[in-house]
Amino acid sequence: MSQLTGGRVLRRALREQAGRITGSAVLSTGHQAGEALVPVVIGVVVDRAVGTGSPESLLLWIGVLAAVFVTLSFSFRFGARLGERAAEQAGHRLRVRVTERVLDPRGGADTGRLPGALASIATGDAGRVGMVALVLPLGVAAIAGLAVGAIALLRVSLPLGLLVLLGTPLMMLLAHLLGRPLQRRSEEEQERAAHAAGLAADLVGGLRVLKGIGAERAAADRYRLSSRAALTATLHAAGAKARHDGTLLAVNGLFLALVALLGGRLAADGDISIGALVAAVGMAQYLTGPLSLMVWVNGELAQGRGSAGRIAEVLSSPPAVGGDAELPGPVKGQVTVHGLTHAGLDGLDLDVPAGAFVGIVTTDPAHADALVACLSREREPARGTVTLDGLDLSGVDPDAVRAALLVAAHDADLFEGTLRADIDPAPTEHRVPAPRDGAGDGGRLARALAASAADEVAAALPGGLDGLVGEQGRTLSGGQRQRVALARALAADPPVLVLHEPTTAVDAVTESRIAQGVRRLREGRTTVVITTSPALLSTADTVHLVDGGAVTASGTHDQLVHEHAAYRAAVLA
Amino acid sequence: MTAPSVTVPQNAVTERRELLPVAGGRETLRALRALLRPRRGLAGAGLLVLTTATAIGLTVAPLLGHLVDLVSQGRPAGALTTPVVALAVVAVVSGALTAYGLTLVARLGEGALAELRERFLDRALRLPLGRVERAGSGDLTSRAGNDLSAVASVVRSGLPELGRSLLAIVLTLAGLGVLDWRLLLAALLAVPVQLHTVRWYAGRALPVYARQRVAVGAQQQQLLETIGGAATVRALRRRERHLDLVSGRSQEAVELTMRGVNLVTRFYARLNLAEFIGLGAVLVTGFLLVRAGEVSIGTATAAALYFHHLFTPINTALGLIDDVQAAYAALARLVGVAELPEPAAPPAPRSPADASLHADGVTHAYDADRPVLHDVSVAVPAGRRVALVGASGAGKSTLAGLVAGVHEPTAGRIRVGGVGLGDLDPAGRRAVALITQEVHVFAGTLAEDLRLAEPAAADEQLLAALDKVGAAEWVQALPDGLSTVVGEGGHRLTAAQAQQLALARLVLADPAVAVLDEATAEAGSAGARVLEASVAAALDGRTGLLVAHRLTQAALADQVVVLEGGRIVESGTHDELRAAPGGRYAELWRAWSGRRSG
Repeated sequence: MSQLTGGRVLRRALREQAGRITGSAVLSTGHQAGEALVPVVIGVVVDRAVGTGSPESLLLWIGVLAAVFVTLSFSFRFGARLGERAAEQAGHRLRVRVTERVLDPRGGADTGRLPGALASIATGDAGRVGMVALVLPLGVAAIAGLAVGAIALLRVSLPLGLLVLLGTPLMMLLAHLLGRPLQRRSEEEQERAAHAAGLAADLVGGLRVLKGIGAERAAADRYRLSSRAALTATLHAAGAKARHDGTLLAVNGLFLALVALLGGRLAADGDISIGALVAAVGMAQYLTGPLSLMVWVNGELAQGRGSAGRIAEVLSSPPAVGGDAELPGPVKGQVTVHGLTHAGLDGLDLDVPAGAFVGIVTTDPAHADALVACLSREREPARGTVTLDGLDLSGVDPDAVRAALLVAAHDADLFEGTLRADIDPAPTEHRVPAPRDGAGDGGRLARALAASAADEVAAALPGGLDGLVGEQGRTLSGGQRQRVALARALAADPPVLVLHEPTTAVDAVTESRIAQGVRRLREGRTTVVITTSPALLSTADTVHLVDGGAVTASGTHDQLVHEHAAYRAAVLA
Repeated sequence: MTAPSVTVPQNAVTERRELLPVAGGRETLRALRALLRPRRGLAGAGLLVLTTATAIGLTVAPLLGHLVDLVSQGRPAGALTTPVVALAVVAVVSGALTAYGLTLVARLGEGALAELRERFLDRALRLPLGRVERAGSGDLTSRAGNDLSAVASVVRSGLPELGRSLLAIVLTLAGLGVLDWRLLLAALLAVPVQLHTVRWYAGRALPVYARQRVAVGAQQQQLLETIGGAATVRALRRRERHLDLVSGRSQEAVELTMRGVNLVTRFYARLNLAEFIGLGAVLVTGFLLVRAGEVSIGTATAAALYFHHLFTPINTALGLIDDVQAAYAALARLVGVAELPEPAAPPAPRSPADASLHADGVTHAYDADRPVLHDVSVAVPAGRRVALVGASGAGKSTLAGLVAGVHEPTAGRIRVGGVGLGDLDPAGRRAVALITQEVHVFAGTLAEDLRLAEPAAADEQLLAALDKVGAAEWVQALPDGLSTVVGEGGHRLTAAQAQQLALARLVLADPAVAVLDEATAEAGSAGARVLEASVAAALDGRTGLLVAHRLTQAALADQVVVLEGGRIVESGTHDELRAAPGGRYAELWRAWSGRRSG
């Protein structure tokens, strides 16, 4: 992949909306021209109708005024709609592209990035890049307005035109320079104020904890202090902003006085007509409109470029794992780990025969995480191999690997929706066929629920299997979530299933029931349980103890408990 | 299998939502007046200064007209000095007055806002937890977050802008009236169209924006869920499904946003019509009046220009109406909480006699027809520890919540030191602490987080508390020790560290009675063992009631109570229960310890 830059992301987003952007630019220019024409037409009505007393003239020019209004109104209406649609649609496409990249089987986009930060790139940054599609037409219209104004003024009078054309930007620059330090300070202060606002939500979010230890009074006192500090900061910021606004107003008025002085003298000397004087004064006021529009457009463009850069970084993040080969034929399920060295694992060797039920105990939980990361193809190991039926997984399409070897991580997420959809979203979807007869989808789901004791969760949930669980399953308790996640892994019925600490939040009775259930359900299918739970380990054919990053003992749970002190220490508190 | 009548509290809550109150129109207005009353002087001064600034600004047009008159009368160039100097003075004075007036308005608005948010939070923090849970956790947090910031943004930018626009409109119309009353009447022809437009818009915009906000929220939440669960999505190969969900939610938000845009553009199109009607009427009236010799051409021109200058402030003011409306709705939600009546204090508050804890014949139902506890009695003598044991949904958490006063039992009584929970004095209520499995690390430094439990604690006390629960080592390893910023946006703590922090808070709060619910459940097996030691240390010297998931905790307790289906089925010491043939606890113990005994 060639290096993806923010510029390319931005250009592609704009190219995809080229039609809408062009249409919006044409219409916005029409709107801008219409707005500029209104005072001109007012002048003409005064000159030709009010001045002459001719009703025909009045009717004619009121008609022209109506036409101008119709034009400006309609071009605004449809220009704005086209621009907004372009912006929204561009933002939407980028949002989907970022999500696509994050969910890519090869991973890597979510490495080292917090979910909140990624989500804000997919919403905030995508939106700001989209905004460019909205502001670009406005920028075009502003330039057109400036050009029209410049030509009109220069035709009236060269010195007056030059004063207005050079003076207006200079004045705006002056106002900008005067305002910048104020603006910067006020932004810092507003940030502090926003922090205090966040504190309110944070304290309320921790209400249970506060109430639990009777800290309501302390929290309210803390908030009052922070609110007062924020108040001081905002007042500083508001004062700075008020001075900035006042300065802008004064500078604007002074410039108008200057234009009036020069124009008045020219008119008094007979160099220009009175009408030209009025036009010049009017134009000096009108030009600040398109000019501040351009300043705003410029600011939005800068923001859009910054956002496009952040999106490009996500889209071009290097994949965490590679491989594109397919898995040949039906999977038997023999898993071998050889010389695996990764995040604490140090030359780990493991052999899991096809169809075996194996337990793995690590003395350091970080080693379990490392093993899970390598087996699930979330990370490429630093050294060593993982093979399935003798095939090195680093060369195989990670999606194909996961179809054959499912790793149910300890911290797996649940998703909002019905319990049924979370456990088994598409029962008819093609999957690796189960080598059992009569294993209908309904039967498989029921068996998975029973084996994981998630049937109890369904029974307690209003609506049962079709009851709703909230976002990330948060309406369920920790133990219920864990059982649903386990049911989901079992229902997928993969040739090889790796479970990582599946029962830590489950009570002892249920854990024991789950241990038996999983063992029965997975009979004849390769299953690896990485855990320190005696209940689960006692059902395994073989248990391997990983100490110091490598296997130091193997045997049944009973043997190891009796013979191995380090194992006892690891599994029995 | 669990009987369907037994359910965990979380489910009970989702079934029966009862949102927190929203203040009615009169109530909101009263609260608003109460906020503004002490700031009357500021409000009057701000209004006066801004009115003066706007009025002075309006003299620009007549001054320019005077300049034009001077030139057309053929006066020498020197005569122009006076109006030009006047223009410059007007510029400087109106600039300075505007700056001063805006500062006054900010002091008014921000001061009132600070008072409002403090009163809201103070009341919110003292709401009974059971009430907050009935409303759903999102209700209060969205008020503290979205509603506060909606009000703040209108106070900060909307109201000053609206005020200035309204002043400009009123004073310009007054200026028109001074020119000629008939010209003013002509200009007012635009008003019916504008009023109708605003009514037309407000009726349609609010529901569209409400739906749009919901759609954007749903899109945001879907993104967080999908991206946060990316590893799970990849593992289960549900990429297509999640892409469809994200894309669908996003497109839905786009369509609703576009619907809002369509409304806004139609809103401004109608306002354009009003502008044309007003401007046309002013021009035609001017034409007729000039022809009748009633006014001069200059007056007619000035009237048309005045009206033209109204376009921007009118659009600004009308465009702000829905922001103000939304902020007012947000204000009503804030006032609804802030003005909730205080719960009645016990008529004769009493201090607990000792640190004992009793639950006498407690029955509880979240839903009238779904009782989750039946006639449960537990006695914990002062300084002793009782462990609650049972399957998920047996009623352990409910009992813990009742004992800690989160909910009031449907029947029966909870006593601390012989005094019913409702009759305890404030210090007595603080004598019972509850730690749940919900861990919240407060944003700020670690020391600030801990001082919520004991504001007066010195650093040494904080470190001692951390040391007691076995957290001293990792805290010292943090980049800035106690000053490390934790919580949202700060240094991330593991689940076990966050639980230890909660226990350190408990040590600092130093309650006589501590109720611990699933404090070790989420940490994973290895972390759970470390936490068990922390829990034991934190409970040292206190009366403790703890929900035990790991039976080693039960084994260390003075008494074990086994709950099943909301009833006590066994009760006794660990050794007694373990030895009871065929007992529930004995069975649990065998299951938990695997073949340990073999």
